[in-house]
Amino acid sequence: MIAIMKLTMREILYKRIFHVILILTSIFLITYAIGTYYVDHDLDVSNGMDPLTKPFLSTQLLGMGLYFAAFIVSLLAIFSSVGSISKEIESKQIDPILSRPLSRSSFIWGRFIGMSILLAVYAFFLFLCITMINQWLGGGLKVVVSGMQLLSALALFVFQPILLVAISLALSARFSSLNCGITMVMLYVLGMISGFIEQIGAMAKSTTMINIGIISSLIFPLDSLFRKMTIFLFDSADDPLSFATQGIFGSMSVPSNAMLIYAVIYGLVALAIAMQIFAKRDV
Amino acid sequence: MSVFAIETKGLTKLHSKNRGCRNITLQVQKGSVFGFLGPNGAGKSTFVRTLLSLIHPTEGEGYILGHSIREIAARNRVGYLPELFRYPDWLTGRQLLDLHGDLCNLSHRVKKKRIDKLIDRVGLAGRGDEKIKGYSKGMQQRIGLASALLSDPEVIFLDEPTSALDPIGRKEVRDLICELRDAGKTVFLNSHLLSEAETICSHIGIINHGKLIVQGKKQDLSSIHSQVLITLVGKEEAWWKSAPSWLTHCEKRQREGGRTTWVVTLNHLDNVPDLVSYLAEKGLAVYQVTPQAPMLEDIFMYWVNRKGDEKV
Repeated sequence: MIAIMKLTMREILYKRIFHVILILTSIFLITYAIGTYYVDHDLDVSNGMDPLTKPFLSTQLLGMGLYFAAFIVSLLAIFSSVGSISKEIESKQIDPILSRPLSRSSFIWGRFIGMSILLAVYAFFLFLCITMINQWLGGGLKVVVSGMQLLSALALFVFQPILLVAISLALSARFSSLNCGITMVMLYVLGMISGFIEQIGAMAKSTTMINIGIISSLIFPLDSLFRKMTIFLFDSADDPLSFATQGIFGSMSVPSNAMLIYAVIYGLVALAIAMQIFAKRDV
Repeated sequence: MSVFAIETKGLTKLHSKNRGCRNITLQVQKGSVFGFLGPNGAGKSTFVRTLLSLIHPTEGEGYILGHSIREIAARNRVGYLPELFRYPDWLTGRQLLDLHGDLCNLSHRVKKKRIDKLIDRVGLAGRGDEKIKGYSKGMQQRIGLASALLSDPEVIFLDEPTSALDPIGRKEVRDLICELRDAGKTVFLNSHLLSEAETICSHIGIINHGKLIVQGKKQDLSSIHSQVLITLVGKEEAWWKSAPSWLTHCEKRQREGGRTTWVVTLNHLDNVPDLVSYLAEKGLAVYQVTPQAPMLEDIFMYWVNRKGDEKV
């Protein structure tokens, strides 16, 4: 399992997509830093801004940064993992590996842990960069958060790509790389759009729209993780007006804690399915 | 402990359209070089891939060194060179072997020693630190061979091991297989190149249309027909026409200086004394009687064209 884990990590680091994502991440962070600096500088937040507008802008600015950071991490997770089994089978590179005294479940664990470690480290640094930009360059718009809030939000942010890897492995164990890639992107987009529908539904007080969002979250719970993360990050007990629930990057329709447990179980079931399918599959 | 390195009982793997291999019962003795021969698409690779659990059997059982192929332990002391050898081309040859050393749980010291030795042995000295993507097909097959031998396995499956090699490379692989045989290893050689198996295999199994037609020692399978080369001097040209039924065929090979050489097919080599007596009765002077060992191609064609299964 450790050999497969090491191979997986080296493979991702070697892939061109990883280098492209790193470059794009750098561009994104620089742009975000410049944007954050000038929003604070140009709006002159310290002098006479509406006391309700300031925290709203502040959470939206950080929420936007984290939303796009989550988007990049998710794309990397999807594109790194969709071919992790199917492509190996299609290219027959898996034959010499599986002819070794290695169980199929060890192969899946190796793939899962290898990808998860790398993506978790990447997500961790991206989250830190975004929050540090907000704290250092945000000026009057910086979000006031406690260490505990940061840690809770960070844990959920890091969990997102890990969940994606588990789902992707289950699909990759059964379908071709192309089909798996298309399905994963479609599920991701479904989760993203239904997340927005749910938030708009909460704003418009439309039960149908909220229910659509909830059902979609049950199908693909990624967006719920992001929404819950914003609640952890922005919600303040001593703030009578929670700005975590406002704006398009906030969470007016708040995911419950049961949804978090559901997401964890969802990931574990996906992993178990991946092992079950792969154990029975001819390669 | 089983005397067989590989044993299968009714092992069947059927793909779509009922292709694959069916009901294969086979025994490969330890320390033998077993040539698994058959035309393209006969089911040779399917059989090997089933033994290695890359594909799951539809029916039947298989054992490697006494362990069921359904157990991981069956692959503990096994090396495999696939027919379609594909390796991560972003790794160097040495990194690939290092990976397989880890998969075989070799210690760092043993791994390094074996890698150095095998890179040299398969003719890749000085090229081990180059990326596999820069390797030719032949070099990729060589590094695959090194990978198959890395764990010092007891049983080595070689599926068309010389398909990408030049004549020198083929000779080197043949020599390597002989070395393995001398070291007491069991080699299961999948091939449709009969010349490859001709000189190195002690045992043979022939598969056609997914069915094992025959298996046994090569020398036993060679007694498919008993051909004798005879050189005669005499006037009677059609001497064989009135011969007894144990002489099944006769063909003139050449005539030189009054001597005629014939190839005679007998029911059995035990009929050679009868043949000599018969020729003497006919008043023919016998200058040569040499039993002919059939080529593997003859053996192969005989069994492939013969209907029904048979064990020797």
